[in-house]
Amino acid sequence: MNNRPLILVVEDDAAVRNLITTTLRTHDYRFLTASDGETAVMLASSRRPDVVLLDLGLPDTEGVEVIRRIRSWSNLPILVISARSEDDDKIEALDAGADDYLTKPFSVEEMLARLRVTERRLALMQNQEAESAVFRNGDLSIDYAARRAFLGENELRLTPIEYKLLCLLAGNIGKVLTHTFITQKIWGAGGESELASLRVFMATLRRKLEAADPTVRFIQTHIGIGYRMLRVEQEGV
Amino acid sequence: MLKKRDDDPKNSVRVQKSAAETAAAGSGASVPEGHTAGPGKGLIRFVPSWMDLLWTVALLAAVTLIGLLFARLGFSEANIITVYILGVLITSILAESPAAGVISSLASVLLFNYFFIEPRFSFHTYETEYLVTFAIMLAASLTTGTLANRLKETARQSAESAFRTQVLSAKNQLLRSVSHDLRTPLTSISGNARTLVSHADQLDGETRRRIYADISGEAEWLIDVVENLLSVTRLENAPVSLPLKAELVSDVIEEALRHVSRHQDEHTLIVEPGGELLLARMDAKLIVQVLVNLINNAIAYTQTGSVIRIGAWREGDRVAVRVSDNGPGLPPDVREHLFEMYYTGKNRAGDSRRSLGLGLSLCRSIVEAHGGELTLEDGGPGCVATFTLPAEEVTIHE
Repeated sequence: MNNRPLILVVEDDAAVRNLITTTLRTHDYRFLTASDGETAVMLASSRRPDVVLLDLGLPDTEGVEVIRRIRSWSNLPILVISARSEDDDKIEALDAGADDYLTKPFSVEEMLARLRVTERRLALMQNQEAESAVFRNGDLSIDYAARRAFLGENELRLTPIEYKLLCLLAGNIGKVLTHTFITQKIWGAGGESELASLRVFMATLRRKLEAADPTVRFIQTHIGIGYRMLRVEQEGV
Repeated sequence: MLKKRDDDPKNSVRVQKSAAETAAAGSGASVPEGHTAGPGKGLIRFVPSWMDLLWTVALLAAVTLIGLLFARLGFSEANIITVYILGVLITSILAESPAAGVISSLASVLLFNYFFIEPRFSFHTYETEYLVTFAIMLAASLTTGTLANRLKETARQSAESAFRTQVLSAKNQLLRSVSHDLRTPLTSISGNARTLVSHADQLDGETRRRIYADISGEAEWLIDVVENLLSVTRLENAPVSLPLKAELVSDVIEEALRHVSRHQDEHTLIVEPGGELLLARMDAKLIVQVLVNLINNAIAYTQTGSVIRIGAWREGDRVAVRVSDNGPGLPPDVREHLFEMYYTGKNRAGDSRRSLGLGLSLCRSIVEAHGGELTLEDGGPGCVATFTLPAEEVTIHE
């Protein structure tokens, strides 16, 4: 059981912390808890957890500040938990370097599913040779040098923008990328009309990726937030 | 950062003046690229647009032609002056900027002088008496123009306040029903939990499992109620600051399906193809909420095993979205009460007893805030809920 991932749970509300830790315990995860930002940053550096579950509404520090501090020295996956229904704080957290988010009230299954996604990303990060020339995800492969993408044996006919989008998502697999981040990377601008274009290109890219097997989800849409590429070996989320 | 600027209600309230533009954007008119609403917008709007100037010139030309006709027929100058003032009035009504009325007034006096006062076809005049005529004509047309503008402003404000009243009444309706909708499940949750805390050992496994299921079910119901409440707070700032963005309709449907009732396994949900590349302007959160309510309604009001279809298509400059089921449909007596707050129909399937009717009146307010329309019809068999949204035209950035 000792090679199970170590999760750092940062949540100031005791009842929700209990809920999370009980769930983690019943699913054989190892965990640490912190109820404020200072302790969280300290534990993150001293105990080196595999994943951080971070509530954004902490008593002492802004959750985003915690993300920035951890990101200054570590790439470990951060999953933020937000109680607010507005998307701004989630977007801010994602842009600050968080990988994923959960909105309260979330279900236990949802949390476990997100953790599994993160674990797969971790496994990938550890196994991947530093600068791979070919990206693989299920049937999808991207040959970066030749600037070509394949689904199984078949080459995907992608427009230049679609190819750029695919590479951006693939390079950040498992991580939710915000609209602003993507439009900035692709068009260098984050305006209203780029956003509409992005929707169309994502739809056509997805259609091409999922044409062979519509049940396979490579790209997940997060309404009001952004997109993410999922690892498709096992089930999606 | 685009996201912040558009979504932040604090920022949006500032551009309250441009409600007309929001409405224009809502009806699918073209929106200037990227950098829209800035703080200077209120000032810029005083400068007439090209469209305004076009109207002004066209009307002046028309009025002058009528004047020339009158002059030829030998009508008095008073008639011609009246026609000019009428022209100013129409210009003020048609043009968006108040400046158009002023320009039209000044031009009218000059044109009248040029075409109709001896010596004709010159800006000179022999009789000083005409200077008084010009002054009065200018004053009359300026007053007319100002009055017309004020009238327009009042009309706009009353349309806005009518909408606010509607939202407010939806809100009040919701708040009134909240005590009912929150208290019932809270009673069950806290009572059941207390029983478990103090008497857990006296209960047999089966009873405990039933209590757990009840708590979980009631809590999920509470989540839905809270989501609806949040929608109302978002709606309150509408239409001025509703963050309308181009969204892919299929994404919104997919998102809604992730939030529908936990009882959906007992029903077959089918998303009809065709809506893949449809873009509509909307506040995605609110429209997801509309779909969730409509689909949950369909689930709650049909027997186990019923089929619920969700489809979307383009209809002129609108996008229509439809949720239909093959359940018992809507008897005429039910239809009349559909949007009332506590109405739950008479012969409900399933065990839920909640006032889902409340969700429907909220749905209608949300759709109307988008400039769309929500209709419920008897599909014979089944119930058909359809709503429309402004479609979005996209210029692709390659």
